[in-house]
Formats: sequence, C-alpha cells, structure tokens
Amino acid sequence: MKHRGFVRVRRAARLALALSALALLTSACASIGPKPWEKDLMARKEMSVNPYPLVAAADDHIYFSKEASSGGRGFAGGGCGCN
Amino acid sequence: MQLNKSRRPGQLRDTLATLSLGLVAANTIHVAPAAAQSTDENLSLPYSQLDAAYLSYQEANGRVSASEPTASLAIHGQGGQVLTLGLTADTVSGATPNGAVPSDLAQNFVTPLKASGSSVTVTTASGGSTVITLPPTPGQLAAAALGRMYTVPGNNLPMDRAFYDERKAGTIGWSQPLFGIDQVGASFSYSTERDYSSLTFSGRLAQDFNDHNSTLNLSVNFEDDTSTPYGGVPTPMTAMSGQWKNTSSKGRTQTDVVLGLTEVMSRRWLAQLNVSYGISSGYQNDPYRIVSVVDPVTGEPLMQTDTAGNTQVYALYENRPGSRTRESVYLDNKFDFDPVIPELSLRYYHDSWGISSQTAELTTKIKLFGSFYLTPNVRWYHQSAASFFHYYLLSDQAVPTYASSDSRLGRFTSLTYGAQLGFNLTDHSEIYVRGEYARQQGDGHPAYAVGQLRNQDLFAGIKATWFMVGYSWQFH
Repeated sequence: MKHRGFVRVRRAARLALALSALALLTSACASIGPKPWEKDLMARKEMSVNPYPLVAAADDHIYFSKEASSGGRGFAGGGCGCN
Repeated sequence: MQLNKSRRPGQLRDTLATLSLGLVAANTIHVAPAAAQSTDENLSLPYSQLDAAYLSYQEANGRVSASEPTASLAIHGQGGQVLTLGLTADTVSGATPNGAVPSDLAQNFVTPLKASGSSVTVTTASGGSTVITLPPTPGQLAAAALGRMYTVPGNNLPMDRAFYDERKAGTIGWSQPLFGIDQVGASFSYSTERDYSSLTFSGRLAQDFNDHNSTLNLSVNFEDDTSTPYGGVPTPMTAMSGQWKNTSSKGRTQTDVVLGLTEVMSRRWLAQLNVSYGISSGYQNDPYRIVSVVDPVTGEPLMQTDTAGNTQVYALYENRPGSRTRESVYLDNKFDFDPVIPELSLRYYHDSWGISSQTAELTTKIKLFGSFYLTPNVRWYHQSAASFFHYYLLSDQAVPTYASSDSRLGRFTSLTYGAQLGFNLTDHSEIYVRGEYARQQGDGHPAYAVGQLRNQDLFAGIKATWFMVGYSWQFH
C-alpha cells in the first residue's frame, strides 16, 4: 500500500511538473513567434501539424498494433483488438 | 488567421454535398490548430483537404499481411467550423504467433471449432489445421464436440496460420468557435471486426493566443470496447483446450486526456508539445495467446492427452492486469529550410504495467526538380518489458497471477526506415507513394533459458514492410 501511495504521489508530481512546464512555456510564448505578415511559410501545407493525416493514421495504427506504447501525437490508433 | 472574407454563400454546403458522396477512410483525424494549418493567404481561410490512400502491409516469414483502403475529409467553413469525416476498411490475414515457445520436437495445439449446428460434421479447417473429435462436455452432443488442431514442426516458432479478420471503421467530427473559445469540438468513431468492436467519443477545446502563434489544446477521449473472441473467452491461466468457452464477450473502457501546445516559434520553426494521460480497465488479455509451461531441466514444453486420445501441448491462456494507466510526453519540431524541411519528434512513454519506451523519428522533406519531392524518414524505438512478461513458465514453480509471452510486451528495439516520393499535380493536389521497413530486435537467447530453449530464438519480433499510395487535394 505504501509503495502504491508513493507511486501515486510520484505520478502526481510528474504531472504537476509537466503542467508547470507547459504553463511556463505558454507565458513565454507571448514574446515569441512571427508577425502576421511573416507567416507565409507557415501557411504552406508542409508546415502544417499533420499534412498527411492518412499516413500518420496508418503509421500510428501499425505501431499501436506491434508495440506496447501508444499515443503521443494524438490519441492511440485504437479501436481494434490488435493489441 | 481565420478572418471572414467573401465566399459565395452556400459554397460550403455545395462542397459538402459533392464530397460526402465520394468519401472513403481514417480512424484518426487530426484537426490542425490555427497556429499551424495550411491557409490561403488571399482568403485567410484554411484549406479544406481530401485524402485517399491504399495501404499494403506485409510481415516476413508468412506472418500477418493486411490491405487497407482509407480516406479522410476535413472541411473548413468561413465561420471557423470544421467538419471531419473518415472511413477505413482493412483485411488482415496470415500466421500469428500463439505465444508458445519453440521446441526441438513437434507441438500440437488445439483450439475451438464450432460446428454450424449440433449435428453438422465439419471436415475441413483453414490454415493447415485438421478437425479432431474432442471428449464431449456434459450435455454436449458428440457431433458438436469438435476442435481444430494444428501442428508446428520442431525448431519452429509456434504460429496459428488460420488468422483472418476484416475491420471497418468510420469517424465523424465537428468543431466550431463557441462561447468565446476558438474551437469546441466533438467526434464519434466506430470500429468493428469479427471479434472486436469499439466505440469512441472525443471532446476537444482549443484556444489561440499571441497573434495566433500559439494554440492550447485540451482533448478528452472515451473508448468503449467489446471483445468477442472466436471460441469464447478463455479463463485466464487455465490450460488451452478445444472446448468452446461459456463466456462469449468481455468489455474494456479507456479514457485519455491530452493537453497540448502548438507554437509557431519563428517564421521557419513550428513546435508542438503534448502531455497525455490515459487509464483503461476491463478485459485487456489477448484471448488467443498462451504461455508455455516447460520442464525446468530439459526445457521441453509439457504435453497432455485427453480421453479421446488427442495429444497436445499443455499451455496456459495468458492473463494481464485489468487496469492500466499510461503517461506520455511528445515533442515535435519542424523547420522550413526551403527546399529542405526537417522534422524531429521525440516521445517518452510509461505505463503501470512497467513498460517504459523512448521514440525518436526524423523526417526530412526535400523538394526535388520539377514538381517532385522526396521525404526519407528513420524511426528508432525502444521499450522495456512488462512486469508480467515471461517467455515461458517453469513447471516446478507456482502459476503466477499474471503472465503473458506476447513479444509486444517484451523488451526490444525497433528501427524503421522509409521514404515518400511525391508529385504535385497542381499547387494544391498531389499523389505520393511511400514505403517503410521495420525490424524489431529483442533478446531471443536470455541467459536464464533452460535445456533445449537455449538453442531456440525465443523473441517473436517482426520484420515488416508496408507501402502506401495516396492522393491529397486541398480546396475551398
């Protein structure tokens, strides 16, 4: 029980650390980034987050089916009994 | 970035009506945050996008092969609305490891074979198997007491060659600005195959700030799955048998939360950070997978003979814990060094089954002569083993509560190499072909192996090749 409690605390601490880092990054974001007239490159397809959704979905699904890990880029490619 | 500019009224509706008819695929659709989505500079309106592709997947040594047509559609409205649709169908067949260890002797395995009606005699079985008569259970007609037996020759990885499945999946999603939040969305997905079905509901909030250079995302995903294995649900850690099991299905639920930040760092640099947490509970076993029980000295798998005279391997159905929590951190960076666009993504993953993994993937798009481009990629992945992973169990030791010999839960490293060659048909449409090769490498010769197992490769990892042909079209 003691071990389980410790693991929970450690997980909570890790999550809090990650959230704090995210909050820090968010506040730091206000001073970075291009002006609206400098976004020509970002408007291109290849600079979008996921330019080839089917390629990403296929790769995620294959790795989800053949490895123990899942998620990261988005939700796990679940919905199948392959893992 | 999303300004309302002049568009012909009803254009979205017309486009929807036209495209929804020709739609075919995708089980995962990502709606790009406003900070980074392909946009028409004149209209300041994100492009809608239609994708269609065909995937062919093949594992070496006659193992699993799959073919999958798939398509997705994301339509952006002038008021910031986004409709996403996707469909996927796949067919999977081939040989799949059953979890048993190789032996220097031939091994017989028996699985359920349901007769279609109590008095019907089944004389054939797929995958090089034979139909055998089992001792009837109390109340069972003798004609229905049939099993499927397959034999694995000595020094071969035990695989069941009768694996076959078909899956169909669809998803629909909608998001729009609401209550001052830039994007409030929901999506619904359904996937069904012969022995598994899955319902997924997702909700998403996204807010832009810092001149649309930053997008904060919060997504919640709830999944409800039902496993209906052929032959019924086996009792965990009991001996594999050809008898039809009484329990027909088991359920499983999973909830995931992803908090993400997408940041345009500079004119040429896009970054994304996702923190994910997930919890699943319910039936998480592979109902077809077994664990060998071997002699502690010779390493030979134990055998058993039933009252009908069938001799088969004595192996136990696997068992995994009923709950699992997952945590992951994902960081992606993409740079536009025209004509070269490198992207590096890193992921750290940990779960309550004791598995930790690290993933690094480097993809580089290189614009070639004319309208061609080439995108080579390499991916490195390493995972540690689940705490209950065992290649086999020893017959002189107590049976553990949890055990699985699924190599996907073992320790291994995987490398993937691939490339995508594309050709731009117009400024906003392209075709591409993509090829990938992946190989898993694990410790198939652990130092603790006993007897004949010292001469066997116990790691059942894959060598897989997959190809994809696709078409992508952006439009207003």
